[in-house]
Order: sequence, then C-alpha cells, then structure tokens
Amino acid sequence: MAGLERYFESPAQRRETLLGIALILPSVVLISGVVLYPIVYNVYLSFTTVPLNPNQAPTWVGLSNYVDLVTSPRFWQAFRTTLVFTVGSTVLSTLVGLGVALLFDREFRGRRLARGLVLLPHVTPIIAVAFVWQFMLSPLWGTIPNILAEWGLYSAEAGLLSRRSTALPTVIVFSAWRNFPFAFLLFVARLQAIPESMYEAARIDGAGAVAQFKDITLPELKGTIAIVVLLRFIWEFNAFAQVWLLTKQVLTLPIFAYQTAFANFEQGLGAAISLLLFVVQAMFVVGFVTLFGEDKV
Amino acid sequence: MIGQITAQVRSSLRVLRTGYRKDSRLGKLGFSLALGLTLLVSLLPFYVMLLTSLTPDGQIYSNTPSLLPNTITFSQYTVLFGSETFAFGAYFLNSAIVATVTASFSLVVGVVGAYSFTRLEFPGNGLVRRGVVVVYMLSSITVIVPLFQLIATLGIVDTRLSLFITYTVSTLPLTLYMLWNYFESLPIEIEEAALLDGYSRVETIYQVVVPLSLPILVAAFLFAFKIAWNEYIFASVFLKSQAKLTLPIGIEQMNANFQNVWGQVMAASFLTTLPIVVMFLYLEQYMVEGLTAGGVEG
Repeated sequence: MAGLERYFESPAQRRETLLGIALILPSVVLISGVVLYPIVYNVYLSFTTVPLNPNQAPTWVGLSNYVDLVTSPRFWQAFRTTLVFTVGSTVLSTLVGLGVALLFDREFRGRRLARGLVLLPHVTPIIAVAFVWQFMLSPLWGTIPNILAEWGLYSAEAGLLSRRSTALPTVIVFSAWRNFPFAFLLFVARLQAIPESMYEAARIDGAGAVAQFKDITLPELKGTIAIVVLLRFIWEFNAFAQVWLLTKQVLTLPIFAYQTAFANFEQGLGAAISLLLFVVQAMFVVGFVTLFGEDKV
Repeated sequence: MIGQITAQVRSSLRVLRTGYRKDSRLGKLGFSLALGLTLLVSLLPFYVMLLTSLTPDGQIYSNTPSLLPNTITFSQYTVLFGSETFAFGAYFLNSAIVATVTASFSLVVGVVGAYSFTRLEFPGNGLVRRGVVVVYMLSSITVIVPLFQLIATLGIVDTRLSLFITYTVSTLPLTLYMLWNYFESLPIEIEEAALLDGYSRVETIYQVVVPLSLPILVAAFLFAFKIAWNEYIFASVFLKSQAKLTLPIGIEQMNANFQNVWGQVMAASFLTTLPIVVMFLYLEQYMVEGLTAGGVEG
C-alpha cells in the first residue's frame, strides 16, 4: 500500500489524517454495527432455523429455507403482487408527479403556498394518512364510497380495502398519492433549470406546445425521469408500512418476510425472504450507480 | 460567444428569480381547474381527518356521511387525553423523547463526520462517502430480522435504547449528506484564518463551522426528527410494553383494540401530523436536498 504513505508524510499531515479517521469513526462504527453486520448475519440466519429462545444458537439447515420458498405458491404469489404493486405505483407516481410539475412550471398567485401544500402527502406520518384513507374508504362510514354510491358509480357493499381484487389497485393509488410529491419536486426543480431561451427559439421556429414538450422538455428531463423511476422502484419494492397499515389483504414480499419472522416466528425463513429482497435491491443500486456515475452518488 | 453566454445566463437567472415561464399551453380556466383538482386530491384526506376529529360520534356513524361540518365538538380530543382507555399522552411524549434524542445524536455524529469528509484527507474517504449513500437506499425490511436477533442478544428488547441506536443510524446518511454538501460550499479561507489564529481543528468546527451552518443544522435536525417521528417497523418489532410505545404503534393499537373509535383515531392522527406540518414550514426550502438524498420511507 504505497499510496498510503502520502497521508503520513509529515507530522502535520499525519495529525490531519488521524483526526479525519477519528471524526468519521463514530459514523462508520454505527453504520457497520446496525446495517453492514446485520446484512452479513442475515445471510447466515437464512440457512438456519432460529429457536424462540434468544439464548439458544440457530440450527444449520442448509438450503431448506430456500427450498421451502421456491416450492411455496404463496411465495410466488407474493412475488407477483410485489411486482404489480411496484410497477404500478412507480409508474403512477412518476406520471402524476410529472404532470403536476408541468402545471407548476409557470407563475401564478400563491404558487409557493400551493407547492408546499402539494408536498404534504409525502411528509406527514404514514400512520395518520393510512388511517384516514382507511376511514374515507370504509364502506360503512366513509365519505368516498358514499358519494360514489350516490352517483351510482359504486355499490358500497364490500369495502375496497377488504377484498383482495380491489385492495391491490387501491394500495397502488394510495402509494401514488403519497409519493407523487417526491417525483413532482425533483421534476419542478429540473424544469426551472431549462433556459427560457430554448422555448423562445422553438416558438420562433413555429413549434407548438406538444412539439415544445416533446423536443425540449422531455429530452431535458430524461436524466431526472430515470433517477425518479429507479429510486421509486427500489423503495416501492421494499415498501412495508404504506401497504401494511392500509390493508392486510395485500401480501407483498416485505410483508411476507415480516409476518413469517414476527407473527409465525420462523425467523430463518424470514431472513431468507429479506435476503432475496436485498439481492434485488442491490442489483438496482448497482444499476443506479453505473447509470448515473459515481458523481451523482 | 460571450454575448451568447451572458444571454443564456440572464435568461436562466430570470427563470430562477421569478420561477416561471410565460406560456399559453393551457387556457387560464383549464389551468385553474387542474390546479384545483391537484390541491383537492392532495388535501382532501387532511380535511377529512380534521373534520372527523371535530365531529361527535353520533354523526360520524350516521348513515349519511357528509363532507361539510355540522356540529363542532372537541370531545374526541378530551376523550383522547382524559380517559384511562387511551394512553395517547404517553405515546406522544415517548415519540417526542425518541425523536429528539435520535436527532441530537445524529446531528453530533453527523457534524464531525461530514466535516471529516469535506476538509480532512484520510485513506478511504471516497469509499466511505459512497458507502453512506448506498446505505441510504437500503430499506429497514432487509435488516429487520438480524437486527432483532442482535437487539435480543444484547438484551435491549423493549428499551428506548434500541430505538435510539437504530433510528440514529437510519437518519445518519441523510444528515451526513446534507451537511457535507453544505460544508463544501463554505469558503475554506475562514477556517484557514481561524487555524492561523491558533484554533485547533476541533475548535474550528465548533466555533467557526457550526455557527456558520446554523440553518442547515436546524434543517438536518428536523429531517432526522421527522424520520424518527414517522418510523413504524423497528418500533413495532422492538417495543413490547404499553408504556413505551411511540405514536405510530400506539395509534395502531388504539385502532386494533377498540371498535368504532374513528373520532379518537382521527384526533390522534391530526395531533401526530401537526408537529410535522409546523416543521415543514421551515423545511420546505430544504426539501429538494433532503429528498434527492433519499425520499425516506416513513
């Protein structure tokens, strides 16, 4: 390690280097202890059966947890549900976010206030918004089913959240409602950076609104769209509370892992599911880094 | 060439300053309708939350739900605080303690860490920095099983300590990211002057850098506070006893253990939302930064 010498050449430099290490050490120790070590330990746990008593060591069972998973229809069902949920809510939140960002890309009275209000769904505690959605959609007391029923659009017999067939689309809509402000904010920031002169030039050339959007706005936004889609995909794939607190009728992989580990206390099996989730996540993170380069990171 | 560049700069400055571009892609009416619809969809749930929390039980469970206020009552709130059934006050206090302690830890560890990233050279600086960002993209669900085992082995299940540690780490990547971005923008000359005056590095951090960074420190603190305040999954696994529950778990139990307590649940939800909305008034200008670093779930 010849390169290391430059950090220790003079006493002053050595002091700086040691101080640098000392100051970053708390962060590194904390992150290693609470994130990196558990990830490695999780690999081990996924090959074991974990006894209920924490004083007993886990028993090695080899690949049996994984065999159980790939032969379980419930697992594949959860996998499909996760994919539908992830793709659905990523696409919907990105599209709505883009639409609202375009809407805000102009001057109007109260723009700042309106922008702040639009961000609220994303920043408020998930518990509060999940429960108010449950209440609003409740077939007995909810205002939404009642209004829809009055208009003859919906018969309020079974709740949207209590039937499996309607629960999944409802969770996707809820997710998009919660997360479109994230896409909106990134898009609005990027839109403001597009120089007005590009639009002026296009207008002089006689380009209409659609042409301006297609030839200027969209190409300028390409990078941001990719970032939004990728980040949302990573987070939706692992989303737990926003699904779990809204309905117990949608079984995605994170919920499957949680139930397996903490309701059925099969922690080895739960570890195996979360390891699979981690692998998918890691693939997307690597994709993110290669796509956008290390500077972005 | 120069003329082109200045024209370019001037036009982008204008857009930045006024934050708009003039166009007629949409008629005025169409625009107003679209904006109205956007605000309606975004805010309706908050309106329903507040309205329901102010409605007497008899009207909540009537057969004709309405979106207009009829009779206003504070009884849902008095029941929430006054009755023995709901330990809402305790949940609120627990959440406040956990979020404050976590955000303080995160800030102290974050300030020195971020300073080390931006001003000091040490082997592995770049690697650690990238690692921090990658860690931020990971979700709690991937570490929850091994972390629970670890917490159990350490014997700190059902303690606030388990939350202090895990929440500090959940918030640390964002704190580090926000602070190092800001520290990089500080002119290095001020610190050099301080060092020449005989300040040590550590003194420079606390007497020069920290006072210069107060707004971003407040923002980082509030972001960390918000993450801890909203967190659900760790608390649901680590906490067992009623007296220690934080708001998300407490409200969930209220809802699960009792039938038709929507009025109280909505009042509790509103009170949980309120501090975050107040903070958000301050945080709004930092949102882009906080969100691009990671749109944290929770």
